[in-house]
Amino acid sequence: MLTYILRRIGLAGLMLFGLVCLTFVIANIAPSDPAALAAGPDAGRSQIEQARREYGLDRPLHEQFLRYVGDLTRLEFGRSIATGRPVGADLARYFPATLELCIVAMIIGLVLGVPLGILSALYKDGPIDHFTRIFAVTGVALPPFWFGLLLQLAFAAWLGWLPTSGRLSVFTEPADPITGLLLVDSLMQGNGGMFVEAASYMALPALVLSFPCLAQILRVNRSEMVEALRADYIVAARAHGVRPGRIVVVHALKNAMLPTLAIIGLRWGWMISSTVLVETVFDWPGTGLYAVSSAIAGDFKPVMGVTLIVGLNFMIANLLVDLMYGVLDPRLRSA
Amino acid sequence: MKNKVSRRHFLQGAAALGALAPFSSVAFERDGSRKILVFSGNQAVPVLDPHWRYDWSTRMIQQSVYDGLLKYVGTPPKIVPWLAEKYEASPDGKTYTFTLVRNAKFHNGDPVDAEAVRYSFQRGLKMNAGVAWMLKDFLKPENIVAVDSHTVKFTLDRPFAPFITYVPWWYIVNPKQVMANEVDGDLGKKWMTENDAGSGPFKLRRFDATSLIHMDTVPDYWNGWPMGDAKRLSGVIYRIIRESAPRKAALQRREVDIIAGVTPDDFGQLEKLPGVKLANFPGFTSFGIKFNCQVGPTADVNVRKAIAFAFDYDAVLAIHNGLAELMTSPFPTPITGHIAVPGIPRKDLDKAKEFLKKSAYPDGGFELEYVHVQGLEDPRRIGLSLLDSLRPLNIKVNIVAQPWPTMTARAGKPETAPNMMSVYVTPVGTDPDTVAFQYHRDSWGLYYGVSHYENPAVWKLIADARGETDEKKRLEMYAEIQRAIVADQPEIFGMMANRIWGMRDYLKDFEYSPVRSTSEVDFYPMWIDA
Repeated sequence: MLTYILRRIGLAGLMLFGLVCLTFVIANIAPSDPAALAAGPDAGRSQIEQARREYGLDRPLHEQFLRYVGDLTRLEFGRSIATGRPVGADLARYFPATLELCIVAMIIGLVLGVPLGILSALYKDGPIDHFTRIFAVTGVALPPFWFGLLLQLAFAAWLGWLPTSGRLSVFTEPADPITGLLLVDSLMQGNGGMFVEAASYMALPALVLSFPCLAQILRVNRSEMVEALRADYIVAARAHGVRPGRIVVVHALKNAMLPTLAIIGLRWGWMISSTVLVETVFDWPGTGLYAVSSAIAGDFKPVMGVTLIVGLNFMIANLLVDLMYGVLDPRLRSA
Repeated sequence: MKNKVSRRHFLQGAAALGALAPFSSVAFERDGSRKILVFSGNQAVPVLDPHWRYDWSTRMIQQSVYDGLLKYVGTPPKIVPWLAEKYEASPDGKTYTFTLVRNAKFHNGDPVDAEAVRYSFQRGLKMNAGVAWMLKDFLKPENIVAVDSHTVKFTLDRPFAPFITYVPWWYIVNPKQVMANEVDGDLGKKWMTENDAGSGPFKLRRFDATSLIHMDTVPDYWNGWPMGDAKRLSGVIYRIIRESAPRKAALQRREVDIIAGVTPDDFGQLEKLPGVKLANFPGFTSFGIKFNCQVGPTADVNVRKAIAFAFDYDAVLAIHNGLAELMTSPFPTPITGHIAVPGIPRKDLDKAKEFLKKSAYPDGGFELEYVHVQGLEDPRRIGLSLLDSLRPLNIKVNIVAQPWPTMTARAGKPETAPNMMSVYVTPVGTDPDTVAFQYHRDSWGLYYGVSHYENPAVWKLIADARGETDEKKRLEMYAEIQRAIVADQPEIFGMMANRIWGMRDYLKDFEYSPVRSTSEVDFYPMWIDA
């Protein structure tokens, strides 16, 4: 098992290095001039050349690459050309917001997806099943950007129930972060008001982000439950007079949940990368918004940093799924 | 403040969660008897350092926190004394002596003196970024002298007529604070990115480059408050909402008091909202379609003329719902010395065909690339109109959307510059040189010099006019420059779109000045009457 784990970790490391190379190449073949960005819109040629020297952009490409990789080994991601700030510090500032959004979205996906999947399976081909099917198809098909704007229009502009965007009211000054997760921090600080406020700002973006995940969990859980409920051991359990509730929750769901857990692992990486659209619509100050703002400005170091974080998340999630499968199926360990 | 916050958290949280009533709205924030104004725009403020960077959102905050020697106000824009109560120029146009007011002080209580002015201009020149381009070719750091504590003398290398029109954008920083925060001789650059060393009407309270900036008013601001102390705001928050729809929704809900970036399409919707009013003023930013004058079919002046006469100018106005004004010269109307150039092209297909016949492509039969900024709808629609306009000339148009950094990189060389590129240019001053210099050889390769326009006679005129001290003669030179540029047609001279803000009706004393760029406003005179 240890060899299996080490092999998987080694492979993930190699993939990460590949990602570093790829992002570096893409950033450097993009037809834009970061020095011009650093110098400002009306800058003359001498100012652009000065900026080029200042940021080391005048050095040969291989030298720039070696320096970038060297920085990464010290967990430094370079400097943003637009702000001059270290990208690592920015990532540390913005990633908790993204992480919190994804965790809440995932919880919404699970809390709604699993029971709806069970209900669909129990009432297969009935009205509930049809309704959840439409719900799931809509969830997968709806572009998050458009869906987000629609929710803003309905719940913020028309009904006035929820705020339009941001992470907290502009008048609220949060205390120094402990974990960076506002919901957690506000509870740790005993600030119920801030918890409620943060939750209200979280509601719409988390719902939009959770929707495709929820739909997939629902459908996978449904089909697994349908299979499980047909299985011999369920028939046997029924014959032994086990209560229906216990049959569903303890016997069927336990087995049906395994593929669902795998889906969660795979969806996690996807979700981190999907925050780009959701964070833009809701001005959620996370890594997605940071990446978009930087990409629009042609500021590549932050984009490369965010790509690495997203890639790392994908790899960790895949690794965990692989390891989980490895635990469940010993044959895979020697594969 | 922290004590107040927890109570407010609870109330706001309860309001949000409890959904107290449908159609409820959030009132502006009160701080005791005073109010906090919330402005929303789509652009971040990455750097607060006034000598490093500027754009509309950045400068809006910089001007709130810092003061200049002079200030632009009103429309037509005029320059009024600010930190300098007066200035004198020597007859040869090389020496400018500024006398400072005696009561100005920085936010930490230090006096704003001649030494601070000297240090600030020297810092700007040494950093060679942001505003430096305005003066660096005419002013050496060592030629700025603090004569006494309230007198500063600038000696230029040679006469430079636009000098005074650039001075308002050079903000004065507190040398003591900057020097105390220097790291490895960086002139305090790192610290100044998100800290305040100013003397302006507002002081920085919270700076989050990507989401919001909160400023408090300076109660005893050295220049006083125009609305009186009783009515002045408690502070201003700049809130960044990138998408237009949520920004409008936030205004509707009174989450914000004023929004920037209102498009002509938004105009009609906002007009109907109760409690909302619109500020709608003629713009100063020109929109043009710059030709590549060196490479490809547009290197031929007759092709350029043909395209300019085929273009549908009315369509441009229609795209902007009439909220725009056509250019009558390469210079925007409010620029000093602007003339309406006789014979500037308007749609005339016969003339267009005549010019094309004179070119190397009498029957057309070629394709031109039209590049516009990715994500901007109006230039895309103008591209479609251009495509339609050039069909009768048998010229095809390939509309390409590219990110701004890619466009500017392409502008660098004639070989890579597109045949046509749509560009918005906001002059940073009211002096004619600000616009004229875009047509000089030294602007080649910059985004506004993407045409690589070549006319040595015009270049000489532009260079001479910069140093001309006789105002009458100077304006004649600029009239000639405008006529010559129109004759060479390095671009389609398009329009100036109106600048529009949406705001709640309780907002008072919004003052427009076209020299501010895009959506930039001056918070100093504003207050809330409710």
